[in-house]
Amino acid sequence: MEDFLEKMAEIMEVDSVNPSDELTSFEAWDSLTTLSIIALADDDYQVSLTNAEIADAKTIEGLHQLILSKQNA
Amino acid sequence: MHKNFLDFSGKSVLITGAGSGIGKATALYLSSINAKLLLLDINEESLKETLKSCNENCDFLAIDLSDSHGIKNKVSDKIKTFGALDGMVHIAGIPYVSPLKTLNTDTVDKVLKVNTVAALELAKVFTKHKFYNLENPSIVFISSVYGLVGSAANVAYAMSKSALHGITKSLAIELAPKRIRVNCVAPGFIRTQMLDDVSGSFDNGYNDRLNQLHPLGLGEAEDIAYGITYLLSDMSKWVTGSILSVDGGFTAQ
Repeated sequence: MEDFLEKMAEIMEVDSVNPSDELTSFEAWDSLTTLSIIALADDDYQVSLTNAEIADAKTIEGLHQLILSKQNA
Repeated sequence: MHKNFLDFSGKSVLITGAGSGIGKATALYLSSINAKLLLLDINEESLKETLKSCNENCDFLAIDLSDSHGIKNKVSDKIKTFGALDGMVHIAGIPYVSPLKTLNTDTVDKVLKVNTVAALELAKVFTKHKFYNLENPSIVFISSVYGLVGSAANVAYAMSKSALHGITKSLAIELAPKRIRVNCVAPGFIRTQMLDDVSGSFDNGYNDRLNQLHPLGLGEAEDIAYGITYLLSDMSKWVTGSILSVDGGFTAQ
């Protein structure tokens, strides 16, 4: 989780993120950010995400859970 | 009486990426006009599927084109038994959608190896003494509209494809004394599995915009196969170093 939080902070262009932070609350949130998350999930977790799934995940924690659940599927 | 340029009887062509998409469509079309084909792909099963629909003069070689150092020997050995070639088309390619900040160096490396370095290695093999026939030999690379115009989150793919344009022009000059022509087709978006895989990452709005970027609508794999066939055929015998846009008008705007 620590590594994931660090990478999400990098993507969101902030010093740190909290699991409860809402994805849309970040200033850097835009369509390219979504693509960054898709690329991160693919490269680091070998998981394919869609735009809609990311939107449904809502929070950093939700996104982490989504990736883990897809990894175990 | 003009020659029928679309009769490829007696012509041998190597095609990479022949297991699916544009590569498969090109193989099927060239086979239908009697070309003898050497089909390459990483996926042996899909190669065998393509081969089933081709004429009896065709053969295949399963090969991982990301193994840059292995290409020369494996392909050379195969050509020694298959026979000399009249044409070569490098269609195999991998997409990579990622913004700059998440660009993974290993993935960039692989994209470059398959899309670009393999083109050089294959050209190296094709131009070996006695590996190509002397009458109108032709090399065709497949780039992309994104080798010509910019697109966000596509930097590595664009790099790999625009590099093919430099390769095309440099080799066209270098190989002209041998009468080997070198050209490139730059396709727009084609309905293939590769596009389906990539566009799954986007919303419907993106797909609508994609359609609007092509005044003639999205293309079919056969549209690219026809462009490739022209560049392989003797009809284009005075064409070298060209980048042929086959993109439904994408780059005309």
